[in-house]
Amino acid sequence: MNASSPDSISNLRGLGDTGSPAATHRHVPVVRPPAGYWRLALPITGKDGAILIDRRALAANLGLIVALLALSGLSLCLGSVTLAPLETVRALLGQGDAMDAFLVHELRLPRLAAGIATGAAFALSGCLMQTLAGNRLATPGIIGIDNGATAFAVASVVGMGMSLAPPPLALAGAATATALTFGLAGGVGTRGYRFIVAGIGVGAVFGALTQLMLARVDIDTANAAYPWTMGSLNARDPASLWALAGALSIGLVISRYIAQALNVLRFSDSVAAGLGIRVRCCRRGALMLSVTLTALAVAVAGPVGMVALIGPELARHVSSPRGVPLMGSALAGALVMVGADLAGRLMLAPLEIPVGIVTAVIGGPLLLWILLRPSRRTC
Amino acid sequence: MTTSRRGGAPCGERRRALVIPGLWLLGALGLLCLASLVIGAGDVGPLTSLRTLFFQPQGLTAASEEARFVILELRGPRTLVGLAVGAALGVAGALLQAVARNPLAEPGLLGVSAGSAFAIALALVLGASAATLRVSVAQLGALAGCACVLAAGRVNALGQDPVRLVLTGAVLSGLLGALTSLLLMMDQRAADEIRFWLVGSLAGRRLSDLQAILPSLLLAAAITLSIARPLSALALGERVAVGLGHHPRRVRLLAIAVVALLVGAATAIAGPIAFVGLVVPFAARALAGPDIRRTLWLALPLGPIVVIAADIVARVVVRPSELSLGVITALLGAPVLVAVVRSRRLPTL
Amino acid sequence: MHQNSQLPGPLSAQGLELGYGAGRRQTRRTVIENLDIALPAGQVTAIVGPNGCGKSTLLAGLARLHAPRKGVVHLDGQDIQRLPARELAQRLALLPQDTQAPEGLTVAELIRFGRQPHQGLLRQWSVEDERVVKAALAAAHLTDLADRTLDAMSGGQRQRAWIAMAIAQQTPLLLLDEPTAALDLGHQLEVFELIRGLAAAGKTVVMVVHDLDSACRFADHLVAMQSGRIVTAGRPSDVVSEDLVRTLYGIDCTLLSDPATGSPILANMRRTRAPAVGDDAPGSSQLCKTGA
Repeated sequence: MNASSPDSISNLRGLGDTGSPAATHRHVPVVRPPAGYWRLALPITGKDGAILIDRRALAANLGLIVALLALSGLSLCLGSVTLAPLETVRALLGQGDAMDAFLVHELRLPRLAAGIATGAAFALSGCLMQTLAGNRLATPGIIGIDNGATAFAVASVVGMGMSLAPPPLALAGAATATALTFGLAGGVGTRGYRFIVAGIGVGAVFGALTQLMLARVDIDTANAAYPWTMGSLNARDPASLWALAGALSIGLVISRYIAQALNVLRFSDSVAAGLGIRVRCCRRGALMLSVTLTALAVAVAGPVGMVALIGPELARHVSSPRGVPLMGSALAGALVMVGADLAGRLMLAPLEIPVGIVTAVIGGPLLLWILLRPSRRTC
Repeated sequence: MTTSRRGGAPCGERRRALVIPGLWLLGALGLLCLASLVIGAGDVGPLTSLRTLFFQPQGLTAASEEARFVILELRGPRTLVGLAVGAALGVAGALLQAVARNPLAEPGLLGVSAGSAFAIALALVLGASAATLRVSVAQLGALAGCACVLAAGRVNALGQDPVRLVLTGAVLSGLLGALTSLLLMMDQRAADEIRFWLVGSLAGRRLSDLQAILPSLLLAAAITLSIARPLSALALGERVAVGLGHHPRRVRLLAIAVVALLVGAATAIAGPIAFVGLVVPFAARALAGPDIRRTLWLALPLGPIVVIAADIVARVVVRPSELSLGVITALLGAPVLVAVVRSRRLPTL
Repeated sequence: MHQNSQLPGPLSAQGLELGYGAGRRQTRRTVIENLDIALPAGQVTAIVGPNGCGKSTLLAGLARLHAPRKGVVHLDGQDIQRLPARELAQRLALLPQDTQAPEGLTVAELIRFGRQPHQGLLRQWSVEDERVVKAALAAAHLTDLADRTLDAMSGGQRQRAWIAMAIAQQTPLLLLDEPTAALDLGHQLEVFELIRGLAAAGKTVVMVVHDLDSACRFADHLVAMQSGRIVTAGRPSDVVSEDLVRTLYGIDCTLLSDPATGSPILANMRRTRAPAVGDDAPGSSQLCKTGA
């Protein structure tokens, strides 16, 4: 006899019909988007062409942009010399006092641009890393990538006497640290927190190497490199900034493209694979993007790793829980960086606190909270 | 300890397992101390030093006078300080690992050293400067740091997961480090006073520094002797320890107090030095097995071996200047950290 | 359904070897060696066997979560290793055991993920998507709970939601790894009834099941495994025997017949020995004949 009796099937017959792909194919003229989304039909790609826009994420991103603009304005106005908003605008437009114009164009604007670019890059790479590792504590700074990039960049100062922190060396350092961390921990997926501690170890080695190299150079070079090793927007160099800006814009496009796959990576690996995601490939891509962005950002501003933690965290709070907030993270990271830099400049003026210290003071308690909050899932 | 169980043959075996590596280690330590006396960053080379030490040179030339001074007034105290600091950190590491039941627990990693560094910076900014004050302040800070992390370990059973506990400690260290930097930026005088100290080094330490911490070390030794047996019972689990008539909570509190005393004292004279407390118990366990009493005994020679060897390296690599000790111990300790994490099953203590 | 049993199945494997770890280190472990299997179309196949016999590994191999060391898995005659990931996901849905969802995900959102293989960057929500998600919700009786978060649901409801996600993939083939693990009896029944409904709608379902009674009751085809090999395969009432139970689990029992369905039921169980491990288990050919 068959295991299932005729009546158990007949009870379920109707159910089966609804589930069948061919059944009840009625044409619905208007497609209703899922709750919380807008559906934007795209005429170019046939009748099914449409993208979904998460309303909450959109609102959050717009809010973040407004906040970022406001803070940027403040950052341009405030400092050792405070400018009125109107003066700032006029200085931006090239009118008004020549001194003000110099101050805004040559000092504050590049600094602001560096802050926005590094903040966005750090936070985006943090969000990518957290997603691919499935762990909110796994940010590039914590697993030693920042330190690797810093060590190699410092090596350029010590060994070759080139300009401070050229991006290629930072990239090489970040790649080395990443390879070491992941190699030593034996991959990312299975070992949870272990690979983070392996990363802490790798980071400690590179930190020590940085110290070692700084100890070998003359005191002036060391002093010049010091604020940068703490993370500061002072020592930015235009070429590095341009490299970062280029990578960041490419990174934002790519991350838009892989956002859907990353959404699925928040599930377990086997679920993601079952949904047709090439898990390993996707992870590797996200990892490479994350490492590149971190390295280039380190080349500009030094290891301000905490932004990679604070940015995504902030984005997750204001943005929609339905997706990985890549864009939101970038915006929030820029916001945090600009804010921290502004605070660092104003708090102990005329002394300037490196932005790395400010973010570490903000980020430490946040990390502790993540570790200690009532245990739910970590991603 | 030597008056351990009277269990016939195994007891003798066990003691031999302790004595033989112990003797080797003592020998190695002696050699290292000698090396520490004769090797240095300055002009007084090993040969000159040896001659000065063993063959009283005829006639007091200026050179031999200088060598005498360097060896007796600079390297001698420095080696003694290294002995004390190494022993303190090694024992503190072993104790902390036993209390946290976690092979990754380490005063530097868990934020204990960072706590004392922060406390000292705070005290300096608030106007203190006396050297003796520094020791007790550092110990208070160490106690606070230790309490913070272990309390955090109680939340959500975090302490059950060794790796997450270390993560918490690392976060706390990072936060305290940033706060320390912030304090130092606010107060230039304090910064100048302790910048050389903050990086962790034995350079320029004097015998008077050692005298300041000696009482703490003796007190710590006495307490350690009294709690070693209950601690080894605690390794079998809280219930078992209670069943054997011990008071786990009291033992644990005492052990934490000892850790704070030791780490505070070591940090007060040598600055925050990470990873010694990780490497030493790791090596001791590898040599003599998991029993905490044997680990403690072996930590006594092993700690100084690590610290003095690292100190010698720190003097030599960037001659004529010196490297900070913390850098060398980090280079040494981080691989051990990775090795512990990599081992398939984290051994529970 | 019996008439279907002769049809060549959509999914089959030949000479399959699956294992964990790479290289020659001690970590290398072979779980399944030289295994042939063919799954009948339009039926519910249950894979049963003692713990560690390689059931879940086999399922993962069939779903391409594991690349085989040797041998090949065919989906409609094509080697699945050569299929693009997305196309495979349009033809084969998998519900693994470790189903973790991000915090705060609602049922409808979860099911929408099942549409992902059919969507693209510029084709994110079509008429078809909406219809299929609705149908999947209805099939799993979850329409009223669509906006509930997964955390706030019972185990059975949550499992139904996951199955609904697999349904929304609109694949003719579903692979379920222990869909009823950690569910109580009522919730198990909920899930099994849903699975029967899927088969009634013409889908081929393969599931790993722990409980032999349920496997007999709800499956059309039973694959019994031990130590990485298939001991026997066939209709439950044909292949399940007291000998088979003894071979698989080391249990002596009396087989009864369910008065309603006629499927075998284990009764009067006694442990005879520790469950057999290793190669000393009797071969499959011998046991096939002992079936009722």
